[in-house]
Amino acid sequence: MHLLLVGTSHHSAPVDLRERVDFSRRGVPEALTVLDEIRGITEVVVLSTCNRSEIYVVCEDPSHQRDALASFMSAYHDVPESELAPHLYSRLDADAVRHLFRVAAGLDALVVGEPQILGQVKDAFTTASQRGCTGTLLNRLFQWSFSVGKRVRSETGLGEGAVSVSFAAISLAKKIFGDLTGARALLIGAGEMAELTATHLRTHGVGRINVASRTPAHAAALAATVQGEAVPWADITTQLTSADIVVTATGSSAPIVTRTHVDAAMRPRRDRPLFIIDIGLPRDVDPSSGEIEQVFLYNIDDLKTIVRENQTRRQSKVDRAESIVDEDVEQFMVWLGSRAAIPTLVALRRRFETIRQSELDRLKPKLASLPPAAQGRVEEITRLLVEKLLSDPTEQLRTTTDQERVASYTDALNRLFKLQDDANGTRSGTRSPASRSKVPTSRDR
Amino acid sequence: MNALPLLPYVVSASAYVVYFARRSEPAGRVATVTLVLGALTHTFVLGMQTMQVGHIPFVGTRGAVSFFVCLLALAYLYTEMMTDERAMGVFIVPLMAVLQLIPAATNSVAPRPEVLDSPWFAIHVSALLFAYASFALACVVGVTYELLFKELKAKHLGFFYARLPSLQVLDVMNGRAVAVGWVFLTVGLVVGAVWLLQVQQDTLDPRVQAMTLLDPKIFLVVVCWLVYSFELYARRAIGWSGRRAALLSAVGFTVLLLNFVPLSYFVTGSHNFY
Repeated sequence: MHLLLVGTSHHSAPVDLRERVDFSRRGVPEALTVLDEIRGITEVVVLSTCNRSEIYVVCEDPSHQRDALASFMSAYHDVPESELAPHLYSRLDADAVRHLFRVAAGLDALVVGEPQILGQVKDAFTTASQRGCTGTLLNRLFQWSFSVGKRVRSETGLGEGAVSVSFAAISLAKKIFGDLTGARALLIGAGEMAELTATHLRTHGVGRINVASRTPAHAAALAATVQGEAVPWADITTQLTSADIVVTATGSSAPIVTRTHVDAAMRPRRDRPLFIIDIGLPRDVDPSSGEIEQVFLYNIDDLKTIVRENQTRRQSKVDRAESIVDEDVEQFMVWLGSRAAIPTLVALRRRFETIRQSELDRLKPKLASLPPAAQGRVEEITRLLVEKLLSDPTEQLRTTTDQERVASYTDALNRLFKLQDDANGTRSGTRSPASRSKVPTSRDR
Repeated sequence: MNALPLLPYVVSASAYVVYFARRSEPAGRVATVTLVLGALTHTFVLGMQTMQVGHIPFVGTRGAVSFFVCLLALAYLYTEMMTDERAMGVFIVPLMAVLQLIPAATNSVAPRPEVLDSPWFAIHVSALLFAYASFALACVVGVTYELLFKELKAKHLGFFYARLPSLQVLDVMNGRAVAVGWVFLTVGLVVGAVWLLQVQQDTLDPRVQAMTLLDPKIFLVVVCWLVYSFELYARRAIGWSGRRAALLSAVGFTVLLLNFVPLSYFVTGSHNFY
C-alpha cells in the first residue's frame, strides 16, 4: 500500500495554468466522486487552493496510478496532457508525507508562513472524509498534518511579522487603533500606490475612506473604486483632524503636508493618535511632524526596514519549522511502517500459536499423568517461550521506518514461515489484497 | 496558613515570565491555572480565618495586604478572561507574589479592637482594598502602554510590539480600571468618614483621635483621590488619554502603594490596628 501525491502548485506552474486546473471551478466533491471510481485507489483527498491543486491517494501500484491521475487531471480540466505534464509533480510515501506536512505548516506557501493554508487543508480533508473517500491512512495523515501545522506555528512563531510593505502598514495601524472598523482613513494622492493601500485598508475593515487629489477627477475615480468619498484638496487640514490613518502617495516634489498642517490638525484632536503612512517618493510629509507626541509617522523606508527585519527573523524560524517537519515525518513513517507489518505479524503470531497448540495436543496423553498444577506450568512455559521468541522480531518490524525494508522483511517472513499459505489455506482473517479494497472511514478519527 | 497561597502565586509568576519571554502557550496555560488555584486557596484561607475569628481578617497591615492580594488576583483574572489577553500577568502576578511575602510570615490573625466592630469598618476596608486592586491594574496597563508607545514612536518594533495588545485597547483598559477604582475609593472614603463621625465622640482610643485630614495616611489617600478624579475629569472633559492618563495612573498607584505598605508601618498614627 502506497501513499501517492500528484499535483501542481505555484512552484511548478504559471498562474494561467493553475487557474485552469483549479478544482474549485467545477467543485471538489464532483472531482472526488470521479476519483473514487478509479480502480486501485482506496482513499483520496483533493486539496485545491488558489496556488495549488493536489490529489492525495492511497493505492497499490503507484507508477500506474501516477499516470492515471495525470490523465484524470487533464481530462477533468480539459487541458491537453502534453501541456499539463511538464508542470505536474508527484511524491511517493515519505516524500508525500513530508510534502503535506510542509504545506500544512505554511512552508510550501507563496508567502512562507502564510496562516490560511492550514484551514484550507482542513477543509479539503473534511470534504473528502464526509463523502467517505478517506480511510485509516489518510485520516491519520491529515490529522497529523494539522498538529504539525499548529506545532510549527506555536513553537516557531512562523507567520508572525509582516513581510510586505502594505501588510506592515496595516499591522502598525492595528497596533495603534486595535480594531480598524471604526477607523477613518484619508488618502492624499490618487495614484497606483494609493489605490493598493486603500484596497488593503478596505479588506481590513477600515470603515471610512476619504480621497483627496490635486486633480478632483482622479480623486473621484479612486473613491469610486474603493467605495470611499472624494474630498476637496483645499480641505486637507480639516480632513487631517478627523482622520485616524493618513496615507500620502503623491508625485509631488515638495512636501504636501507640512508641520504647520499637522500641528493645526492635532490641536482639536487632543490625545487621539494620528497614524501617517508616507509612501511618496520624495516624501510628502514634513519629517518633523513625527516629533508631535501623538503622531506616528512612518515613511516607505521605515516600512521596508520592518519588512526586512521580519524576513530575517522568518528565515531562522523556517529552519526550526523544517526540523519539526522532519521529526514528524519520521514518526509518521514509524506508524505507517508498523501498520504495514501488522498483517504479517498477526499471521506469524497465529502460526506460532498453532504450532504450540498442536504440540501440546500431541503431548496430551503424556502430560495427563502430571498433576494439574504442573500441566498449567507446561502451558505457561510454552506460551512464554513463544512470546520471547517473537518479541524482538515484532519490535524490529514495528520500528522500521524504511518502507522497502519493511516490505522485504515481511516478504521474507511470509516465505520462510509460509504465512501466505497459512492465511489463504485457513481463510482465517488476514485480509488478502482483494478484500482490502476499502478501509472503514470513521473508525480512526 | 497565609503562606499557603504563596506557592501557587510564585509558580504562576514564574510561568507568566516564561510565557511573556518565550511566548510559550503551555506556560501561559500553567500560569493561568496556577493563578486560579492560588486565588481559590487564598479565598479559602481568608474564609477559614473569618470563621475562626468571627470577622474578616483584614485588621492590620498584614491582614490588609493579604486581602488586597486576593482581590488583585480575582480582579486580574477577571480582566484576563474578559480581554483574553495574558500579557499583563507578567507585571501583576510577581507583584502579588512579593506582597504576599508580608502576610506569609505570620499565621495568626490580628485581633480586632472593640472600636472596629462595625459593619461600616468592613465596608470601608473592602471598598478601599478593591479600589487599590483596580488602581494596580490601571498602573500596570499604563506602564505597558508607555512601553508600546515608545517602540512605535522609535519605529523599532520589537519585544513589546509582538506581545502587547494595541494602544487603543490598553487605553480603554486603563480608563475602565481607573473608573471602577475611583468609585470604590470614593465609597471607601465616605464610609470611613461616616464611621469616624459615629465613633469619634464615644471613644478615647488615640488612634481614632488621630484620624484627621492631616494624618499622613489619610492625607495621601485624599491626594490620590484627587489625582484619579482629575484623570477621570481630564479624560472626559479635555480629551486626555493615552500617555498622560497612563502617567497619572502610575503616579497614583505608586503613592497608594507607599501609603499602603511602608507608611502604615512607620508613620501613621491613625491606622495601625495590629
